[in-house]
This record gives sequence, C-alpha cells and structure tokens, in this order.
Amino acid sequence: MTDIRLFGYSDPLSARAGEPIDFMVSAEGASEVKAELVRLVHGDFNPEGPGFIEEVIETDIPPALPAKRQYTQNGSFARVTDPGAKLAPDGAFTIHAFIWPSLPVGSRQTIMGRWSVSGSKGYALGINPEGKLEFWVGDGVAVDQITADAPLVPKVWVLVAASFDPATGEARLRQIDVQNSWNSHIGPVTPYDHNSHTVQKLRCTPATADAPFLIAASHEENPERGRFASMLFNGKIDRSGIVARALTADEMGAIAKGDAPAEPLAYWDTTAGYTDRGVGPIIQDTGPNALHAEGVNRPVRAMTGWNWTGRDDSFRLNPSQYGGIAYHDDALTDCGWSPTVTWTPPKDFRSGVYALKVSAGDTVDRIPVIIRPDAPRAKIAVQMSTFTYLAYANEHLSFDAQIAQAIVAHTPVISGDDLEYNKLQEFGLSTYDHHSDGAGVCYSSWKRPIINIRPGYRMAGMNFPWALPADLSLLWWLEHAGYDYDLITDHDLDREGLAALAPYKTVINVTHPEYYSEGMLDATEQYLQGGGRVMYLGGNGYYWVTAACPDDPACVEVRKLDSGSRAWQAEPGEGYLATTGERSGLWRNRGRAPQKLVGLGFTTEGMDRAEPFERMPDSFHKRVAWIFDGIGDEELIGDFGLALGGAAGVELDRYDLALGTPPHTMLLASSIDHTDNYPLVSEEVTYAFPGRGGSQDPQVRGDMIYFTTTESGAVFAAGSIGWSQALPCKGGENNVGTVMRNVLKAFTNDGPLPGASYTGAEKHWR
Amino acid sequence: MTEKRFYQVGRKPWEWRLKPAGDAERARGRVPGTRRHWLKWRDVHNDKSLKRERVMVDKKPLWWTIGLVLLLFITPFLPNSMISVVSIFCIYAAINILWTLIIGTAGIFSLATLAVVGVSAYIAAAANVYLGVPWPFMLIIGPMAGLIFGAILAAPSTRLDGLYYALLTMGVAEICRVFVVQLRALTASGGAITNVDSFIPEDWFLQRPGLLLGFVGAFLLMLGALLVWRLVNSERLGMLLRVAKTSREDEAFAEAVGIDFRRARLMVFIISSAALGVVGAFYAMYYRSISPQIFSLDQLLLLFAMMVIGGLGRAEGAVVGAAIVTIIDKGLIELGPPRIILVALIMIGVTVFAREGLMGARNQFRDFRNRKAGERRARRTEKGGEAMPEEATEVHDKQELYYRRFNKRLRDKLKDMITPELIAEHQRDPLGHHSDALARVLNFFRRGEMADKYVIHRMKPAEEKFRIMAVSGARGMPPRVVDDREYSDIKEAYHAVFLLRVNDLLES
Repeated sequence: MTDIRLFGYSDPLSARAGEPIDFMVSAEGASEVKAELVRLVHGDFNPEGPGFIEEVIETDIPPALPAKRQYTQNGSFARVTDPGAKLAPDGAFTIHAFIWPSLPVGSRQTIMGRWSVSGSKGYALGINPEGKLEFWVGDGVAVDQITADAPLVPKVWVLVAASFDPATGEARLRQIDVQNSWNSHIGPVTPYDHNSHTVQKLRCTPATADAPFLIAASHEENPERGRFASMLFNGKIDRSGIVARALTADEMGAIAKGDAPAEPLAYWDTTAGYTDRGVGPIIQDTGPNALHAEGVNRPVRAMTGWNWTGRDDSFRLNPSQYGGIAYHDDALTDCGWSPTVTWTPPKDFRSGVYALKVSAGDTVDRIPVIIRPDAPRAKIAVQMSTFTYLAYANEHLSFDAQIAQAIVAHTPVISGDDLEYNKLQEFGLSTYDHHSDGAGVCYSSWKRPIINIRPGYRMAGMNFPWALPADLSLLWWLEHAGYDYDLITDHDLDREGLAALAPYKTVINVTHPEYYSEGMLDATEQYLQGGGRVMYLGGNGYYWVTAACPDDPACVEVRKLDSGSRAWQAEPGEGYLATTGERSGLWRNRGRAPQKLVGLGFTTEGMDRAEPFERMPDSFHKRVAWIFDGIGDEELIGDFGLALGGAAGVELDRYDLALGTPPHTMLLASSIDHTDNYPLVSEEVTYAFPGRGGSQDPQVRGDMIYFTTTESGAVFAAGSIGWSQALPCKGGENNVGTVMRNVLKAFTNDGPLPGASYTGAEKHWR
Repeated sequence: MTEKRFYQVGRKPWEWRLKPAGDAERARGRVPGTRRHWLKWRDVHNDKSLKRERVMVDKKPLWWTIGLVLLLFITPFLPNSMISVVSIFCIYAAINILWTLIIGTAGIFSLATLAVVGVSAYIAAAANVYLGVPWPFMLIIGPMAGLIFGAILAAPSTRLDGLYYALLTMGVAEICRVFVVQLRALTASGGAITNVDSFIPEDWFLQRPGLLLGFVGAFLLMLGALLVWRLVNSERLGMLLRVAKTSREDEAFAEAVGIDFRRARLMVFIISSAALGVVGAFYAMYYRSISPQIFSLDQLLLLFAMMVIGGLGRAEGAVVGAAIVTIIDKGLIELGPPRIILVALIMIGVTVFAREGLMGARNQFRDFRNRKAGERRARRTEKGGEAMPEEATEVHDKQELYYRRFNKRLRDKLKDMITPELIAEHQRDPLGHHSDALARVLNFFRRGEMADKYVIHRMKPAEEKFRIMAVSGARGMPPRVVDDREYSDIKEAYHAVFLLRVNDLLES
C-alpha cells in the first residue's frame, strides 16, 4: 500500500462570514479526499484539560473532493516574461550584473539568463559547482561554456559580465572587483584577487529557448510537474542588464563605476521604485522595452548594494546604494496551488476557528481557517494573533538551532508530522529560521501548509501547544464560561485600524501577540483612549516591528536586529522593512515600548516549568480589589496549567515605569520562584554580569496589572503565555477563571468601571 | 598515554605555480575540433596566503608530451640495436594500450590479444605475399581481419565469466599457433610468412635509415593507439562504462537507467580488436615476416608482465610497463636467460608491494601516509579532545579549536559532578528547580552541537508513548532511532535522554 500524504492551506487564513475561502489540498496516493468542516473547540490533548475537541458542522462542502498532487516552487527568483523574445538577441550581446554570491560552491546556480535546462537551449550567466563564474549557451543539442579563472569568494561583491558574438563565436567573460570597506562580508585587507578576464571561442550559438528570462533561476519543465524554475541562486544581485553588442573595456569600466550602459535592451535598475514607504516586488527595467521583472517567492529588497558605503544605513536616505536584492533557494511565500474547493460561510455563520478536515485512508489533515462574523455581534472580541502565527510558521528550531534546547531547557518532543515536514523541506521556513546561506528569514506567508497552526500540534521544542492551538484554550474557556465572543485577527486590525475594535466593549489579546504593525499599535491606542477595554493575556506582546505586505497581506515581513530575543540579526543597513520603509526590530527601540500601551513588556522566557501568581499589596485597593472577589488573600493564582503546570510561565512580561508603564498602574500580582532557565532578556542587559536568572534577579517575573484610561477605558494585563492555558484546568473552574470572570463582568458592562470612584487620597491610620 | 608533544607543522610549496594578474585578458585556446583546453589550468586562492595561484590540475598531458618528445628526439642518436629496442617498445606499448582498453575499460578479461594481432598479421601478410596486394592495403586488410576476429571472440564474452573466458581465449591463441604451424604451405619456413613487403624499402632493412624509418612508424603506431585510447576511454563509451564499473549492482543500476552497457563493452572490444589488426599488419611489415611465435605463451606472458608492472587500467601503466620489460628483455639481451628471471622478480615485487602497478604507487603512497597520519593522530589526540597542530591545519574555523579545548576541560569538571544523588535528583523532576551542579550539567548537554543531538519522538499523535532519536544536524536528513526502548511517561523519556547524555559524557 502506498502512503497517502495530504497537505493543505486556506486562502485567506481568516475571512468574514459571507466571503469566499479557497482550500488548497495536495494529495499523494489518493485521487479523492473526504472533506468536512469542523469547529475547533479545544486544541490540546493534555489530560489536565478538556482534551482535543472538534465539532462537525453541516455545510454545503461536498463530502468527497477530487484531489491531486500539487507541486511547490521553492526558491525566490525574478521572472521577465519577454513574450517578444527581445531578450534572445540574434547578434552580439552582453549581459552584466553585480553579484554577491553567498554559497558559490556546491551546485550549479543561475545568475540570469534565458535558459531552458530541459531543452539545453538559450544562454545564461551562472556559477558552476566549483564556484566559478560561467557563461553557457546551448542550441538544443550541444552546450558550450566559458569559465572565469578567479574563484568567487562568498559574500563579496563583484561585477560580472559576459559578451558573446555569434558571428565570430567569441565569448568574453569578465569578473571585476568592486569590493569596498563596507559592502562585503570581509574587508579589502584580504589579499584575494577577484578579477578575471577570459576570452574563448564557443562551439555553438544560443537558440531561442521556450522559456522566460529569469534572474536567479533557470527554466525547466517535465511532463509530471510542468514548468518550474531550478538552478536557483543564493546571494544578492544588484543592477543588471543586457546590451545588444559586445561591450568594450571602457564601457565595462563605466558600469563598474556605477553608470547605466548606453542603449540597453534591458536594464534592471534595482534602485528604481523606492519610496519613503518601501518598494514593491516589481524590479523595474528602465530600458526602452520596459521588461520589468516580477519577483517570485519574494526576493528580499531594501538590501545593501554593491556600492554601499555605510553612511546611509537605510534605503530611505540613499536608494542608489540599496540595489541589492537577496535570493534564496529555499524561500517560499506562495505555494500557488489551485483551489480544491471554495466555500463561502453563510452570513450568519458563527465566528470561530474552523478547519476543513480532509482525509483519505488513515491520513487526516485539518486546514485551519478563522471566521469572523459578517458584522459585530458580541461584546467581546478575541484578537487572534495571525501575525504571530505566520512568524512561527513551520519553525525548524528543534532540528536546526543548536541553542534551542538550552533556551527552552527541554529535550524536544517531536511528532511524526515534524519528521514528515522536516524530511520534505518543502513548505518553507519561519522567521525563526535561516536560509541555506545563513541569512535570516524575513518573510512568512499563509499560502502554504503550516504544521504548527494545526489543532493538537505541540511545538516540538517545548511539548505544549504554541500560538493558535494554545489560543483555543482561551476560546474553550470563554465558551465554557458562557461568554459570546467574535474573532478578529491581527490582519483585520492592521487593515481596518480602530474600526475593527471600536464596536466591542472589550478586546482580548491571546497568548502571544508578539508581532505588531504600527497600525495595530495605533488602533489599540485609539481604542483605549476612546474608552475601550483591553485584556492583554499574553507574554512578549507588541514586540517586533512587523508589516503585512501591501500587495499581498498573506505575507508578513520582519527584520530582527539590535536587541531582543532574536533568532537572527539583520546585516548592517538592512534593518528597514522593504514593505513599509519602517525601521524594524523591537518596538521599544522605536519609542513604542509595549509598557506604554498595556503596562507590561517582555522580561524573561523559559520553558522548563511555570509558576503561580501571588497577590501584591495593590490588589487590596478598592480600585481593583473587585478583580479578586472570591480569591483568598494569600491564595496562589494559577498553580496549574496546560503549559508547564502554571499560569505564569513560558514568556513573561513586567511592569516598568522606566519603560513607560502608566504611572497610575496597579501591580496586582506577580509570579514567584522562577528557575535560572528564566534569564532576563537581552534588551534589558546593558552590562553583562552574573546572576540574571530567576533565582537571583527580581526582574525575572510575570506581572498582573490594571490601569484605567479616559472614558472608562481600562487595561487588565496578565503578562504570561501560560495564563490562557491555565483556564481549562479543573474543568474550567479555577482561580484564574475567577479573575477572568471578575474582569469580564466589569469590562462588558457599560458605564464606569467598578472601583473607579476610589480616587481620593488615602488617609491611613495604619 | 604518550607524552604530549607539539610538533611544528608547515611546508614550503615545491610545486611551481603561476601568479596570474586577474585583470589581464586571457585567451583560452582549445584542442581543435573539441571543447577541451590544451592544459587543465585552474586558478585557486591559496588558503594560506589568500593569493591567487594558477595550478595545472591535471599534469598528465605535460608528462606525456615531455616523455614522447624526449623519445622522439633521443632515439635518432642511439646505436642501431637500441633503435630497434625502442621500436619494439613502441609496438608493445601500442598493443598494451589497446589491451588495457579491453581489460580495463570494457572489463573483458581476454588473453587473445596477441592472437588478434597474429591473425591480422598473417592475413595481411598472406594477402601481400600470395595475392600481391601492395603493402599500403595491408593497413586496411589488417584491421578488417582484426574486426572480424574480434567480433567472433566477443560473442562468448557475454556468456562466460572472467576465468573461463580467459581460458577460452588462451585456447584460441593456441589453436591459431597449431593451425599455422601445421599449414602445409608454410612448413618450409616453420609456419612463418617471409618476404612481406613493407614501408621500409628492402635495401634499407636492418640498416640505420631503415631502423629509423621503422622507429618513426612504430612511434606513430603508438600515438595512434593512444588516440584510440583517448577517444574510447574518455568519450561517451568510456563514460558509459565507468558508470557501471565498480560493482554488479552498478551494472544493474546502469541498465535500469537505460545504459546498454553490454553493447558498450562489445563496442570497445571490437574497436580495440580492429586497432590491434592495424598493429598486426604493421608488425608483419616491420619484421618483413610473421612467425607462429606471435601466438606463443611466452610472448603473451611477457605482455602480461608489462601490464602488471605498469598498472592495469591506465594508458601510462601500459607504456611504462612496456618500457621496463622491453629494456630488460631486448636491451639487456647479453644477460641471457637471467633477464627473464629479473622480469619475473620485478613482477612479483610490484604485485606484492603495489596494489595497482607502478603508476598506482603514488596514490597508494598517499593512502599509506594518510593511514599512518590517522593512526598517529588517534594515539596523540584523545577522543573529542583538543586538536594537535597537525589536525588544526585541517580545521577552517579556528574558534572550533578553542571550543574543543574548552569543552574538554569543562567535561572533565562536569564528570566529577556526576553522582548517584545528581542522577536521582534529575529522575525526581527533570524539569524542576535544580541544584547548581545539575543545572550546569544540563546546560552543557543542551548546548551541545546539533549533529546527533537527542530528541524524543512521540510515536503516535496524542499518545504518551515515546522513544529516543538523534537528529542529523543536516537540513532534510531525518533523525535516527537511538534504541528500541519505549517510554510511556514523558518524565521517564526525559530521564532516559539524561542517562544517555551522562553516559556519553563519562565515556568521552
């Protein structure tokens, strides 16, 4: 029996009732899959909680769907369709490009060309497996090439150019050193000689390939898979072009100085199109034919170019030094599968997290989709952190990151699905991973199967659910406790701003609202200013400067730099988002520390065990004492939980006036007794000295706070990822739930908040 | 343990390398009619100096050219007797090269090589002597005879394996000899055909000009054989056969991917046989006669000695072997019979000490040196311990050397911390508040490198059933299962990983 494999994704990941949703399924070993819609009620099988619960929903989705194997194009590259074959010149021509190859040795790579691998036709400039520049031509029968002498040195800029004259058969291949003190991985003190100039007669001439002109890839096709791109390039490519003549030494010298060539067939000016708000995926051809190149799988723009000189550390200061575009052979932002079924939830469809459950034989896959009501219906909105879901999508930490086990203080517990995804290496990386050349991954999208948003999935490194599957614990409890809620998502908030929040009495943040855009911060701030009430029930929230790509909201961008718990570090000058022009990194480094908004900000993380909260003296003030109705004075709150056995754990946030916590904030409770596997986070470490772990540093803790805003608005914040996952314990009736009920009761009522009148100066006798 | 000694390492380069200027234009010439360059120059960055150097990666063409040119220019100054020795060497070298194609490239263990030469020689000579065909046509008749005879001999090669086929071909040679000796027409001359016409005029025969002309002819014959070698071995046919060379499974694999390697073997055999036919015709012309001696076993064994001494499967082996044996056998003729013993001794010496003949000695020496270095290193370096200067030359990231030293010392300290109490503490609560000693040991384990790092595998979704695996550290390479033990409690699994790691630590 052949193994059946099912993978799928929904587009969009979150939709409003009444709007169509495409489900893409790839089936291997089955031509038909059974399909049903399920509502995801609880996502963890931990016996301390209610277990894994899903509920079948009657829909008009056909119970059996024809399905086929769908192929995924991995790797980023740029495509020029070139229908008029303008880039297949009959006579002499020159192609030239500035390149920064990051993995020159190993496999054959294409820099650019109109080359068909399967047809052996056309021409291309590339790098041979030995790591040397090569220009090759093919007439469909024979292939011939000219190779440069100098080996390419990884991550050093060179100008490369190949001229070919079919009349004489003469090919000329040049590699010209353009390294400076700033632009390359190593400096000019290294005695490398990067120059090379070879001339040779070729024994065949290029035939016009039935292929597009590709930058950073070659065209290939086979009967099974159809047309695709292969021989992908790793590294950066700056300005490049084609000229319909063999360029002279003087003309090459001019290009090496930064001039555009005269009378080009095409000149892809990678510095064109920058605005103060970023740059799109189209690489402009400023030549006469306007043969623009379209990025596939999002080549990374806003990268330093061959002529970068360090003074201007953002493309906004000097776009002419930001022609670098990074290509990766393992980038993936869109599987591009065809829909297996399109389904439109009825307008009155209940808001919630659903999944299309597809099965064939013993194989089952659940393709999650978040459904928002057609119009606001409940008083409570739960903001599902779709940005965070994407940032962590298909993380490889347990397999790839040496330091992961030390961070989480765990031996990973991997599942069969992990093994499968890791073996396939087909569905892309998360912003916690590195590309094959070591560069950090800055884009992540929902247009691909994502293992760790599946219900029941446990993050391998920690053996408990993370993000979406963990957030289901909160939804289960709200339902259990009888609260109606609407789901909205980060993407809704990013797109609609305040309007997405305004209809609700209270908005709840889920376990890990880590990735935030400026628009999301603004909307939350305006909501609070206007009397809105926010329950921040997460850890490490409002942390990374993130943006959804304006041309494709399925895809988010983040650059990790400066400080913070960062899986990678952007190269100098490459810290600005190509999609918005903002400096990325931590919000606190840009004047928007999360403390200013919700009173708390990231202070520690650890994954060995979680602890309870303990009431602090402020919790006995009448302004807030109502939050603790039904809770003993010294009762530990949340000494249980599905995540490591406590309500305060995993990632924790701290009250800090120095970072902008509102001065009237009440410190209600704090967690106690953390292990040294909870160290103080790096952004808090200015001088490094010993003893920054939980057993010695008082800043290692999670806080529970409360403050009011204008117009009866307020923030209740419990800064812990473990909080929501404590709710389902003890059948949902526990002291974490008691706190939640007290706050929800107050926050969903109109009018002034309880305790709001106790603003007088206290006159104490004690 | 031996005393730790630090030997200085480092060596001046002995190889002469070009120091090219990168911005200078360099025209790359090619061998006409091919895509090959004359010499295989490659630029590298010397990893000691980072300077650019131009290396001749394949020096064989250079050695061939020097050798052949020397032979061509020195021979005219040799005495007459030596000229004929050189000529005979060229002829034997040609035969050997073609034989190498059959045995090495095609992998057919045929001992009928001289029989093919002899049959072609007899037919070509007979055509000349009895039918009056002018001598230039002998160079056409010879290969045709070789082709046909080769095709007949090739037929059973696909049916019979190794030794049986070798015996068969030896039998064929003997049959040829007996047949020729018993031919009534040739009885008078003892089976020989004499007075064969030749490219050497009759009155120059055995005179210096005749010897020189004979040498030029033999030299060209050897060049021709080398050309055949090059075209067959290094082009399509040879490449096809190399795919299937190493084992029987490879043959099956080659067939599965559509390489008809039986056909390729037969083609090589037949082409070589035709070329041997040319040698046969030349042989008859060179001596102006042909005798049954060509089919004799001693001739065959002499040829075999050349192959064994030079090294099977390579052209340079065939030529060098032919040179050594010919010089002893024909050049030192005054030694008398002991020279044959000398050949035998050399042959035995080479087979005992050199795996692949004299021409394989260099690689064998390198292997030997590497093995010795490995043994010495293993004695000098503790497992996972610090690297000695010799090993450090092979580690690119020098920080790695410090890590090794540091980790070795750290491990020694941690080993002392492993006590039954510490193990019991972990067993009680693998994820708890730990003592300082246990925290240090655990942190060392968790920071370990990725290759072969332990992970726990949940064997079925949502079930508490675990086993221990170790990840590969290479993207896309699946983890391996460490052992077949299963655990039904995650705490047990954590502790089992801990015990494995403690064991690894104590063993290191």
